[in-house]
Amino acid sequence: MERNQTITDATAIILTGGKSSRMGRPKALLLFDSEPLIVHILRGLQCMFADAVVVAAPGQELPPLPATVARDEVPYQGPVGGIYYGLKAAGGEFCFVTSCDAPFLNVALVSHLFSQISSYDVVVPYWQGRFQPLHAVYRKSVLPFLKDQLDRGELRPVFLYEKVRTNRIGEQEIRRLDPEGLSFLNMNTPEDYQLALKRWREVRKRMETEAASAPVSVTVELFGVARLLAKTKAVSLSLPQEATLSQVFSALAERLPVLVGRVISSDKNDLFSGYACNVNGLEFVRSASAKVSPGDRIFILSADAGG
Amino acid sequence: MHGFHGRLLHIDLNRATASWQDLEESRLRAFLGGIGLGTSLLYDYAPPGVEPFAPANPLIFTSAPLVGTGLTTTAKFAVVTKSPLTGFIADSLSSSYFALELKRIGLDGLVITGRAPSMAYIFIHNDDVEIRRADHLAGKSPTETESLIRSELNSSSVRVAAIGKAGENRVCFATISNEGRHAGRGGVGAVMGSKNLKAIALCGSRESRVADPDGVATIADSLRQRSLSSLTDKYRSIGTVANLAVFNRLGSLPARNFQQSTFDDAEALSGETLTENSFSRRHGCASCTIRCERLFKSLNGEEQRLEYETLFALGPLCGIKDPAVVLRAAQLCDFYGLDTISTGGTLSWAMECGEKGLLPEANKLGLRFGQPDAFLAAIPAVARREGVGALLAEGSRRAAHELGGESSYWAMHVKGLELPGYEPRSLKTMALGLAVSPRGACHNRSGAYEADFSGEVDRLRADPARGSLVAASEDFAAVLDSLIICKFLRKCFSNFYGEGAELLSKVSGWDCSSTELRRIGERIHTLKKLFNVREGWKPTDDWLPERLLSETLPTGVARGIGLTSNELREMIQGYYQAREWTQNGLVPQVKLRELGIVSSVSSLGSRVSGQLEAQDSKLETAK
Repeated sequence: MERNQTITDATAIILTGGKSSRMGRPKALLLFDSEPLIVHILRGLQCMFADAVVVAAPGQELPPLPATVARDEVPYQGPVGGIYYGLKAAGGEFCFVTSCDAPFLNVALVSHLFSQISSYDVVVPYWQGRFQPLHAVYRKSVLPFLKDQLDRGELRPVFLYEKVRTNRIGEQEIRRLDPEGLSFLNMNTPEDYQLALKRWREVRKRMETEAASAPVSVTVELFGVARLLAKTKAVSLSLPQEATLSQVFSALAERLPVLVGRVISSDKNDLFSGYACNVNGLEFVRSASAKVSPGDRIFILSADAGG
Repeated sequence: MHGFHGRLLHIDLNRATASWQDLEESRLRAFLGGIGLGTSLLYDYAPPGVEPFAPANPLIFTSAPLVGTGLTTTAKFAVVTKSPLTGFIADSLSSSYFALELKRIGLDGLVITGRAPSMAYIFIHNDDVEIRRADHLAGKSPTETESLIRSELNSSSVRVAAIGKAGENRVCFATISNEGRHAGRGGVGAVMGSKNLKAIALCGSRESRVADPDGVATIADSLRQRSLSSLTDKYRSIGTVANLAVFNRLGSLPARNFQQSTFDDAEALSGETLTENSFSRRHGCASCTIRCERLFKSLNGEEQRLEYETLFALGPLCGIKDPAVVLRAAQLCDFYGLDTISTGGTLSWAMECGEKGLLPEANKLGLRFGQPDAFLAAIPAVARREGVGALLAEGSRRAAHELGGESSYWAMHVKGLELPGYEPRSLKTMALGLAVSPRGACHNRSGAYEADFSGEVDRLRADPARGSLVAASEDFAAVLDSLIICKFLRKCFSNFYGEGAELLSKVSGWDCSSTELRRIGERIHTLKKLFNVREGWKPTDDWLPERLLSETLPTGVARGIGLTSNELREMIQGYYQAREWTQNGLVPQVKLRELGIVSSVSSLGSRVSGQLEAQDSKLETAK
């Protein structure tokens, strides 16, 4: 999934209404990465969901949140109650449900679950011999089944999976995106919390190291002569961090040698004087030493706009 | 005299007389040829306040010093008159063999006044002038006319410029066409039609001499080489149609009568797609190494020329997405002799009026955005002035005035001339250039868009400092248009005024400096403005259509961008300041003296002086 692209018609639901009895204090408010855990989780989901619902117990204290807050009508009915009240308040047809004690959400895995919904009502991971109902996608159409379960006191979500069209996502498939299953790691005791914090520091350090060496991805859009020569409209390029336009031209020259000597200068570091470069449709950039940013769209066009 | 013949031919169709007159060298040095000389002759020959279709309105053809020198891209001529579309100056250029022949007649200017009693054409063979009957040519296309006259005169060396049905019917945006090219904008063909003049045929044998043939040949060689460099690759490899896809991506492609600046089907109409699917042949004007013309295969198997402005105006502007329909529409415009920009601009106005319930006739014909059949049917109707075509033949401004209601809001013109294919809201320097241009919304008498497309300025932001850029661009264009050098060669000069002055010196024998050449550009532009002021220009004429000042762009990378009246007003003030004109946009006496407009040409001097007194008293009243 591209950066910042939200899933259409989808809502993120975060359940916070548990008693946190073993933790000894409300899990939603535990500090994580210098902010309350609930804020941390919401922030992680914002890039995918335009709509979010936080389900809380009546009277439960929460910080200000960029989300709809739904209260359990009957408190402490377990996950089925939380999922039910969350789905009722959701704006989207498809809902990703998670809990406020799972800090290691993996955007790629969540996105993958959505891609597997097809005509199913539920997409639920099956990890180390157990369903993960609080890391699953639910279609809103399951509401009557949940209501029925609540009425009858069936408070375990697995009963739902026997009644509706359920897509079970196996361990092998999950490992491709989340090798250690960190997505399902939750915290119930102060020891869990300390361990998670330690883990988080490790994860963040690894991510930062990866980001520093990760290639910058840009797209070059070709117009006019360049397009005709290359017989293509656009090319994606991976460049080192802090890459300049000059490096874009060199990488483009490697990919499309036909442009060299006609559009790209023979030393492959610049464009010929009849050509110009525009970044993201907004800025004509005249210096080849200008830096590019990840996701930039770089247009190569004729420098002469006469018509 | 070198580079010029120093002569002018005045043909009076009322009296069927032709007289040769000397042209003062002072006038030629002050205004060069082409648009500059044409403007000075217009100022002299047009009686103040003359009606554009009155016999007294002069139709002026001018040659230029570089024509016939063999320099690449210089086979051009100018047509200047008072425009029926704007009521101000119409200065149009066309090119190729007719331009070379005009110079070979041995003249610098041809002034035609009067009206023939019935349809006629003029045949000029060196010093002999003949006015011949042309009843049998009525209704013929310019191309048919050209071929009939050439066989009638039994000479393949005769070159012809003619009008089509649209010119005969005084459609206010009719063209004069030669060899498939057009003096397109401002309705010069309608003025020719009002004189019952179907065509001008030329056959000459006078070579013009240059002062320093070897020097000119050296520069010609260098320019020829530069004209084949990457600087002109676009024109040589695709042609101007290359603009469409990239303008669309930059949010600068006007679509659906300027409701949008992007077009969903732009890729289908792009120059790249046309080149891959329908390219037939590359062509060029006489004496040109760039050869920008592209002919494409149309559905009926015929070849059709297409360039960006035609593609934009008959495509996205009218919501048309099928390249075959655009090519057919371009064929019809060429056949009838219609300016494609004004045709597209006026039809898209009718489409919007029709869709909004203001023009029931348009609605009844099915004239709506993107509907090909009614669109193609409307073009002949305009040329013939049939049905709603009679209203549309007046151009969008006058048609809206006659229709009334809110329809003026949708008439996208400046001073009556329909806008070209450069979205002003996302090209702010161009917005100013369009607003202040003496001939109306025009992309040729200044290239103000160049600053926007270069990274020199933030094209999305308005700024009063753009005034000096626009003024410089106008002066530059005035010099190019008067030497004459094609604009597609302009980027091949690294120091245009220096090289241009050297070139002019070697052609004319004058000792011309870059400062003098700059001054000539300013002088020419200023005289155009003076002509307009004399013909009733008001400060409110330097303005843009209200839509551009009220609506922000709804799509593309420039989404949300608009232009406010205040921003435009400040930019216009910046422009007047850069020109050292008054706050009201008038030219002060001191500027005229500085430019030598009063003193350089005796006949012009007295006329300009007279007008200045009138202008100053107007200024006093305004205070």
